[in-house]
Amino acid sequence: MKNRLKVLRAERDWSQADLAERLEVSRQTINALETGKYDPSLPLAFRIARLFGQPIEAIFDDGEA
Amino acid sequence: MATSSNAKPSVVRLTLGAAGMLVGAVVGWGTGRLVKHGALDLSGAGWSDLAAGTIAAMLLASGLIIGLATFNPRLAARIIDPAGDRPARPSQVIFYRQQAAVLALAGLMMAAPVVATLVLAPLPPQLGQAIMAGVVALFLLQTLLNLTVWTRADEMMRQMIAEAGSICFWVLQGGLFLWAAAEKLNIAPALSAWDLMTILMGVYLVVSSVLSLRRGFN
Repeated sequence: MKNRLKVLRAERDWSQADLAERLEVSRQTINALETGKYDPSLPLAFRIARLFGQPIEAIFDDGEA
Repeated sequence: MATSSNAKPSVVRLTLGAAGMLVGAVVGWGTGRLVKHGALDLSGAGWSDLAAGTIAAMLLASGLIIGLATFNPRLAARIIDPAGDRPARPSQVIFYRQQAAVLALAGLMMAAPVVATLVLAPLPPQLGQAIMAGVVALFLLQTLLNLTVWTRADEMMRQMIAEAGSICFWVLQGGLFLWAAAEKLNIAPALSAWDLMTILMGVYLVVSSVLSLRRGFN
């Protein structure tokens, strides 16, 4: 699944560690999300959406739209 | 400027590799001395004893290196996450220590039966029972720590642990069935419970390492 996490993070001048701390996950999880090696659970996807103030579908793209 | 990392993973890997080689050299030298002076007779050791001993040494060394590194938060963060860019927080240090303890206890549990049967052969029954009681105590403590690590881990780490368990189950139950069938038909030698445990641990370590690498842990 593709996502705009890296772009959204860069817009806020956050490092992966900054984002990881805000989402209470490890930095490796953020890296895996950004590189498409891991798809988040629904609760984590909601936390990400809330943090960036955007709907989930504006951040994640499953390629079906 | 947002960066994903200011670290130099290659330096960290080299340092870790050097530390691992140093521990390996000390363990190898110590084992060699014991064998040379007759304190350790490996002639009676089976393949699973040697493999379990090697795995146990690796687990112990890993636990020791990570455990010692946690006394320096920056080093601890680099060992667990070579591409990270900040020192470990106190809560992370505790988490890393728990993981180090899980590894070290696993190594101790695997080493104890092998070392006892090799060094103290013939092992008196009462001593065997005492060592078994120690192994059970270590097992209970390690299980408790494992559960703690599970509850403190984030969702990706939990998924990797669950995936490793699933893959090992499917691979090993297939392998066990085929071996059992071959053994029943007298075309394969019988395996002991210790042989099976050693295979299980070896496969689990390989599978969990591959899964970790695939997710970007290095």
